[in-house]
Amino acid sequence: MLRFLVRRVLGAIVILLLISAVTYFLFFALPADPAALSCGKNCNPQTLALIRKNLGLDEPVPVQYWQYMIGIFLGRNMTIGHCSAPCFGYSFASQQPVWSTLMNRYPTTVTLAAMGALIFLVIGVGLGLISAARQGTAFDKIASAVSLTGQSVQIYFIGPLAIYLFADTLGWLSRGHDPDWTHDPVGSITGMILPAMVMSVIFWSNYSRQTRSLMVEQLSEDHVRTARAKGMTSRYVFMRYALRGAMGPIITIFGMDLSSVFGGAIITEYTFGLHGLGQLAVSAVTQTDLPLEMGVMLFGAAAIVIANIIVDACYAVIDPRIRLS
Amino acid sequence: MTTLTKPEQPSGRRDGAPFLSVRDLSVQFATEDGIVKAVDGLSFDVERGRTLGIVGESGSGKSVTNLAVLGLHNPRNTAITGEIVLNGHELTGAPQRTLEKLRGNTMAMIFQDSLSALSPYYTVGRQIAEPFRKHTGASRKAARERAVEMLRRVGIPQPELRVDDYPHQFSGGMRQRAMIALALVCDPQLLIADEPTTALDVTVQAQILDLLKQLQQETGTAIIFITHDLGVVARICDDVLVMYAGRCVERGTVRDILTTPRHPYAWGLLSSVPRRKAPVDAPLRPIPGTPPSLLKPPTGCPFHPRCEFREYVGDTRCQDERPMLTLDSGRGAACHLPAEQQKSIFAEQIRPLLGRS
Amino acid sequence: MRTRKAHYAAILAVGALALSACSAGGGGGSGTSGNGPTATVQNFGLGTAADSQGPATPVSGAKTGGTVTDLEPTGIDYLDPGQVYVSNELAIAQLYNRSLTGYKIDPKTGKTILVGDLATDTGEPSAGDKTWTYHLKDNLKFQDGTPITSQDIKYGIERLYANFETQGPTYIPTWLDGVNYRNVYSGPYGGKSLPDSAIATPDSKTIIFHFQAPHADAPYAMAMPNVSPIPASKDDKQSYNNHPVSSGPYQIQSYQPGKQLVLTRNKYWDPKTDPIRNAYPDEWNLQLGIANPGLTQRLMAESGTDKDALALSQPADASQMSTLVSGSQYPSRTVSAYQPYVEVINLNANVIKDERVRQAIAYALPLTGIQQAMGGAAQGDLGTNLLSPTIGGFKPFDPYNKLKQPQGDPAKAKQLLQQAGVHNLTLSFAYANTPRWQEVSLIIQKALANAGINVQRIPLDPTSYYTLVGKANNQYAMYRTGWGADWPVGSTVIPPSFDGRTIGDGSPNYSHLNDPYVNSQIDAINKITDVNQADAQWEKLSEYILTHDTTQIPFLYDKFYQVYGDGLGGVTYNQVIGTINPGTVYVK
Repeated sequence: MLRFLVRRVLGAIVILLLISAVTYFLFFALPADPAALSCGKNCNPQTLALIRKNLGLDEPVPVQYWQYMIGIFLGRNMTIGHCSAPCFGYSFASQQPVWSTLMNRYPTTVTLAAMGALIFLVIGVGLGLISAARQGTAFDKIASAVSLTGQSVQIYFIGPLAIYLFADTLGWLSRGHDPDWTHDPVGSITGMILPAMVMSVIFWSNYSRQTRSLMVEQLSEDHVRTARAKGMTSRYVFMRYALRGAMGPIITIFGMDLSSVFGGAIITEYTFGLHGLGQLAVSAVTQTDLPLEMGVMLFGAAAIVIANIIVDACYAVIDPRIRLS
Repeated sequence: MTTLTKPEQPSGRRDGAPFLSVRDLSVQFATEDGIVKAVDGLSFDVERGRTLGIVGESGSGKSVTNLAVLGLHNPRNTAITGEIVLNGHELTGAPQRTLEKLRGNTMAMIFQDSLSALSPYYTVGRQIAEPFRKHTGASRKAARERAVEMLRRVGIPQPELRVDDYPHQFSGGMRQRAMIALALVCDPQLLIADEPTTALDVTVQAQILDLLKQLQQETGTAIIFITHDLGVVARICDDVLVMYAGRCVERGTVRDILTTPRHPYAWGLLSSVPRRKAPVDAPLRPIPGTPPSLLKPPTGCPFHPRCEFREYVGDTRCQDERPMLTLDSGRGAACHLPAEQQKSIFAEQIRPLLGRS
Repeated sequence: MRTRKAHYAAILAVGALALSACSAGGGGGSGTSGNGPTATVQNFGLGTAADSQGPATPVSGAKTGGTVTDLEPTGIDYLDPGQVYVSNELAIAQLYNRSLTGYKIDPKTGKTILVGDLATDTGEPSAGDKTWTYHLKDNLKFQDGTPITSQDIKYGIERLYANFETQGPTYIPTWLDGVNYRNVYSGPYGGKSLPDSAIATPDSKTIIFHFQAPHADAPYAMAMPNVSPIPASKDDKQSYNNHPVSSGPYQIQSYQPGKQLVLTRNKYWDPKTDPIRNAYPDEWNLQLGIANPGLTQRLMAESGTDKDALALSQPADASQMSTLVSGSQYPSRTVSAYQPYVEVINLNANVIKDERVRQAIAYALPLTGIQQAMGGAAQGDLGTNLLSPTIGGFKPFDPYNKLKQPQGDPAKAKQLLQQAGVHNLTLSFAYANTPRWQEVSLIIQKALANAGINVQRIPLDPTSYYTLVGKANNQYAMYRTGWGADWPVGSTVIPPSFDGRTIGDGSPNYSHLNDPYVNSQIDAINKITDVNQADAQWEKLSEYILTHDTTQIPFLYDKFYQVYGDGLGGVTYNQVIGTINPGTVYVK
């Protein structure tokens, strides 16, 4: 287990380094000049040169990258002031330190992703299990029709609809606001219910279909038949044998979906006016804000890589064949 | 049009009621392409302490028959008719709860591929202990001790340690022994072994067969042994039932079937098996053609498209009329060839090919 | 690491929607037709000392108290008054920052005049408009109760010379020390002050600017937010951006960059000193990063606290425009007014060298088609003049008959091309690759084809668009830009856009016109000491450029169209900065 973790963490570091380098150098492959964007109305070549220097863009790109990477581990002195480790620089657009911005924003995204994932796993896997247990019944058919519909909707379409219906007209739920776990834990949850529900819709249909077919497959497995031949009850066989076998693939799919969950969070945050990493990513890209882009990218990638390691560890717990080999 | 046969008569060779009695069993699956008649009008008995071998090619209905006995078929797409009487209890149409109480307890099954038949997610010990706890209400500790004992009985070394291993940590032979331990944990009175030795090498196979025989002698269990290996049949079975296309085509004692088979399909089976005593240059004669589709079985005798001896019958009788299985003291074959001709063809044409004296 | 496809797709999808950046050009939608300027053209001019006295004219029916919610589509990049320039910042700065002068919008007459804000009047010129003297009012205090002095304002100007102050307007330092003013003085942090020969503060209430040349419109430059007092003791350079000290009616209660800014009353602000701000609400709650169309939908739905919500600077989303224009519940709570922006198509003088070809294109352009693609009349009126109707001295001017033939005049264009001896002309049109501009590019391509000009469409990455067209040596023939005046005088439009001596990477002379006559006229008009006279001359020069040089073809006067919550009153529009005027708003 320890070797497994060490190997995965080392691999993750290599991946993050690659992502950082690719992002950094691709950024400069674009013709966009962040200095020109900051230069504003009364721009002239002198101001442009000054801004370029202030932003640290006057150095060769590899040097900039090296300084950036060093800064993450050791901190660095920048024109705007000292930036202590982990230093991800200052936003080109707003001059705010990227690290504290990320620290300020990630709770929204994590809460949204976690609640969304919880909802789509409970609804999706639950529906899939019931459908698998009742193959061919009306419930099964309705559930699969609903799943198909759910899969074809878009967040930016149902988001405003849900706000209009549940928040503005019926008043059942809050329109959605950023969580504040330290001061208002209850409001942090209630404020995220509507966004998390909307985000989960595009996922749970997929999970209900996957769970159903995985369960149908598992139920025809030999070892499930053996369990029945031992005289175990149908419910016991369903939950202990078939579901146990389906859990591994479901968790694997979940691990692969984590980056999609992040993508879903971007659109959801945007639609609901939430201030998370997704919204930050959008503004970073639209404003060619390199430090912010790098920060969001690395933070998101690190989160996904770590979550994947956790998922793999869970998989190992579930499947002894992986644990011990 | 096929002429319908009357139900076969059960063997009445031994005294007392048989432990398992199957009468006119039919199993049909509804598939997207139509109805598959996997088992069609099958009858047989098994008595305590005896072993019935069921032989036949893949898809002949051997396994389906036995899954039907245990009630492990999928009720949504399977229709079962006929009678299955276990120790006086009618099993067809019995509620799942009744079957659940019998399965793993009174009747148990050893599956063919122990790697896929054992759950990879639980320890061997847990899987063995599970039915014991359910059927006897034993404590967790007692069940574990029972599992260790069972593993010891089937010859697993260091069973106290191996009981906590997962199936993939066992070798193939050990896993099959564990499978047997699992089936025997509640001392079943009927044991169905579905090709339990097929995937194993010969030495292990022999050990497993000896083990089964020994256990049968200890407990008097009735065994149904499904296989396509006639060598195995010779080692372990008392009686043999040859299945083809969901029907029984020949019945008899193991000696009957191996020394004087009557049905051309049984001849084919015999000649397609290499024999230890045969000269190395004796040709193997596989049965020509392929097993029939059970979606649309051939008319008349289901074996007729592959049968080399239909011209001995003459006309189109083999195509038109389904031969009946008539038993005489538990011995018989469903073939239109007259009994004398069956004997002479075997003696003159088949036996020499088998390389036997 | 696994696939990140969804992530990227999302960014691209949202990115395309989100591009409205800081200047003109958000909003849109179809509306009632309208040719030529129909929104009220306001009176602009300098107010008197009496006009400059507080308190502000009461808004009839207004009440004190309550909280106004302002929805902003993005974060506020700069709160530091020295860095404030873009419109949302300009609007918000009005709440916590006071300059020497400011625009007073009389809610009764709707008239906009420039008055003294911190100063007692709009300034006393001397030495032929080279020297400007301002006296501060009494009882001016920062939020900590310390009095505001002329030295604080001088310090605020000195900061503009520092290397990090790159965002705000540069009029004052440039007028004091020339374009390379940073080489003359490097800011107050080395312990040195600007000499009295540049800015003198003979006493704590008097400040005297000595410019190198006459500047008749200095009173307007003094209204920019960076001509404001900064207490040196609280200045921590870049970090000051997050906690500027208030000189206005509100101070920063809490600030989460990109999320929320809460402003509460500055108890040291004396309404009797302020002719501009009524400051009725007790609190302003600025919610940042509320993207459109959600922002507009919230204002339309006005549920909960959104009843007291408005968007100071973000126009309505194009997708909601038809609902807004047709819905009977909206007109009573809608703002529709000109922004100080003119949308133009640049004809790159380096690429299309013959002015007759440029004029041919001017005739051929289909203004109504472009207007429809841009979102209809609610988004903007057909523009035919290089100056916007919000500029003093503006006169309707339409040399290419665009109002009579808004679909273009291909015959006339062909005729001009023939005169120029041009055949089989192919020109490139560069555009930001967004749905709206894809459509516009097709409309232009089709219309110019009718005049015999082949248009090669060149889509550019939206985020790189201004960088690319801002290059001095760009080789695109045609591309759109927008320009907003800093104050209602042509001096903030014509020199930056057409002075050939300023051409360079990033310079706003996007069409690269370098006409010696225009250059000399710019210098001449800059010397005129009477603003009204200068207004007339700028208008004349703009007409000359449009008819003779034709390197920019105007096509739209941008309008601001947005709803606000029913719970608000006194919502007026400041056409000079192009935002809702926060000073007069009250909660019903």
